Amino acid sequence: MSDKKTNQVGDTGHVWDDNLRELLNDPPRWWMISFYASIAWVVVYFILYPAIPLVNSHTKGIMGWTQIKEYKEDLQKIEQVRAPWENKIRGMTPAAILADSELTTYTVNSAKVLFGDRCAACHGAGGAGNPGYPVLADDDWLYGGTVEAIQESIAAGRQGMMPGYKDQLSEQQIEQLTDYVMALSQGNGDSQPAGKALFDEAGCSGCHGADGKGMHMMGSANLTDGIWRFASQDQRASVKYTIAHGVNTGDDDSRSAVMPSFENQLNQTDIVRLTVYVHELGGGQ
Amino acid sequence: METTEKYHFDVVRWFSVAAVIYLVVGTLVGVVIASQLAWPVMNFDNPYLTFGRLRPLHTNAVIFAFGGCVLMATAFYSVQRTCGVKLWSNKLAWFTFWGWNLIIVSAVITLPLGLTSGKEYAELEWPIDIAIAVVWVAFTVNFVMTIANRKSSHIYVSNWFFLGMMIMITYLHVVNSLAIPVGMFKSYSIFSGVQDAMIQWWWGHNAVGFYLTAGFLGIMYYFVPKQANRPMFSYRLSVIHFWALTFGYVWLGAHHLQYTALPDWTGSLGAAISIAMIIPSWGGAINGMMTLSGAWDKLRTDYVLRFLIASLAFYAMSTFEGPIMSIKTVNALSHYTDWTVGHVHSGALGWVGMVAAGALYHMVMKLWNTEMYSSKLVNTHFWLATIGTVIYIVALWISGIMQGLMWRDYDEFGTLTYTFAESVAAMHPFYAMRTIGGFIYMLGGVVMLYNVVMTIRQARTNPSITAEPARA
Repeated sequence: MSDKKTNQVGDTGHVWDDNLRELLNDPPRWWMISFYASIAWVVVYFILYPAIPLVNSHTKGIMGWTQIKEYKEDLQKIEQVRAPWENKIRGMTPAAILADSELTTYTVNSAKVLFGDRCAACHGAGGAGNPGYPVLADDDWLYGGTVEAIQESIAAGRQGMMPGYKDQLSEQQIEQLTDYVMALSQGNGDSQPAGKALFDEAGCSGCHGADGKGMHMMGSANLTDGIWRFASQDQRASVKYTIAHGVNTGDDDSRSAVMPSFENQLNQTDIVRLTVYVHELGGGQ
Repeated sequence: METTEKYHFDVVRWFSVAAVIYLVVGTLVGVVIASQLAWPVMNFDNPYLTFGRLRPLHTNAVIFAFGGCVLMATAFYSVQRTCGVKLWSNKLAWFTFWGWNLIIVSAVITLPLGLTSGKEYAELEWPIDIAIAVVWVAFTVNFVMTIANRKSSHIYVSNWFFLGMMIMITYLHVVNSLAIPVGMFKSYSIFSGVQDAMIQWWWGHNAVGFYLTAGFLGIMYYFVPKQANRPMFSYRLSVIHFWALTFGYVWLGAHHLQYTALPDWTGSLGAAISIAMIIPSWGGAINGMMTLSGAWDKLRTDYVLRFLIASLAFYAMSTFEGPIMSIKTVNALSHYTDWTVGHVHSGALGWVGMVAAGALYHMVMKLWNTEMYSSKLVNTHFWLATIGTVIYIVALWISGIMQGLMWRDYDEFGTLTYTFAESVAAMHPFYAMRTIGGFIYMLGGVVMLYNVVMTIRQARTNPSITAEPARA
């Protein structure tokens, strides 16, 4: 069966499928050394680290390593860096933190990721807003831009509220109101007397104010500044929709405007931290 | 044709063509889901086409449809030739072919419908799991019986690897899929909590270790010396690295679960053995490459051999990278990032895909007794596959390491520097790049399919052609 040897080393003498043969070369020396070193590595690793299961426990390894210990050490390291500041801001009010520029810098920095992970999905990175969600970086506030109001919004959440008028008003009246609200936002509400009259008669002024500037107490929007709660490329259609269908009316076609409450999700320090951060985004009052 | 042939090759022909088709389909689904990560509009607002449903379809298509058909084609082909006998049962081989393809069809239907057991690389629900076990055992029995009937005195090395794969995959698949059915298409694993996680990754890593490594090393051991027409470099090396891999691989699974609720000893055991697997893995790569020693010039003209040897280079790289990533300190950075995805693709695209392409080209020429329709297109496929793979893995190296670094970065105040969303935004260009890499790789598959179809047509219309037709 064995072919004539064509190589310096012989082959095993077996031939498969006409020409498949195996030479008798030794594995390269470096490979054999590395192979034995690999076995030695396993032995050494097993001595150093927990690795072998026993009946009711396992070998612990002479390094004394456990993953929970490593985790705690890492955490402790980072907490040591934070501690000087964290100890100070714990229990402080947002206003007190804002009075100290160094603490404000720390607090804003430490809130950035908190905001990014908890708030930015709706309010956008840096509070720049998303369609259907308020911008936090300007000075137009539904519920007020004082630290107290901001803290209340974060801790307790907010629930927008506006009745829909599609059953109370005619299509023409809704069009007139829409024209008025659009004109208001450009500073010439008087150009739409019919809509202006309806604004009072239908009760809009009860929440948005006779001048349409809104009220922080109720979270009613300022209609005069051209900043829209439900911004859209076709803003007139959006305003008309809101007037017709309202906000959080319970109907399926109503606008939805809900800010969840965070007081059961975040601790007090984190709520204060976020309050300071939002206040410092650009529009704090 | 069947009656006059020395071996049962018709079933091998069907498996080979199916494999090439699944290569295109599987990579196409991969390109779609890669583009969804970069451009979510690619979901087309259709629940059946979302990432969560297509991702298991992609992995099942490339691993089990493409990979499975390649393994079955090459195993049935080489076992007959190395044993000098026909398959023990041609009928059972056809049962394997139709059974396996039926399983693939059922995956294509159930996965987009969202029917899944939720276990990675084992998503198919219990009735299909049972079918897999039956067809796989049929495949194994036929293979074992063919070896038992062999005319050669010894069992060639490729058959050890195939057999190792068959035995271990039977064991792994059955244990990991043990579940209590609560309906036709819903079941719950009999394992719970950390035990389920441990079993899942014991399967998960060994699907890589035995199915995508041992099985494809079997392919390498037959097709490299055949295509190069050279004797295998070292019998001794093949024995040592075969047994080292077989004993070692089964312990690695827990390295997928570093820093989780698994007991400490499982993770360090997995990492220690993983590192010890570098050298045995390289044993296979060296044995294949050294087979060419003294005949390296063949690479210049033999494009099929190019596929086989390049695959070994990717194999060596990937089997170095994986163990490094299993070490706790590296894993702390790499885990949950795109680096993992890049690593698996360096093995899947570079090693599995390319060694399979080389073997398929070799078989197509032998099975239809002709040269390839165009050897230039084989070379085109080679470069598309190589460039696509490199673009893909480089994109995810950068993206993955960047992700890991961004997640753990602290500023001077001891607070995280980046939000999670910022790390997602930073990945966008690399997601686009990996989509392009995957697309190029898929194009290679399309070229291969065209070339194979034309080769078969050419063989049918003019069976006498045995050499490349002269072209101007």
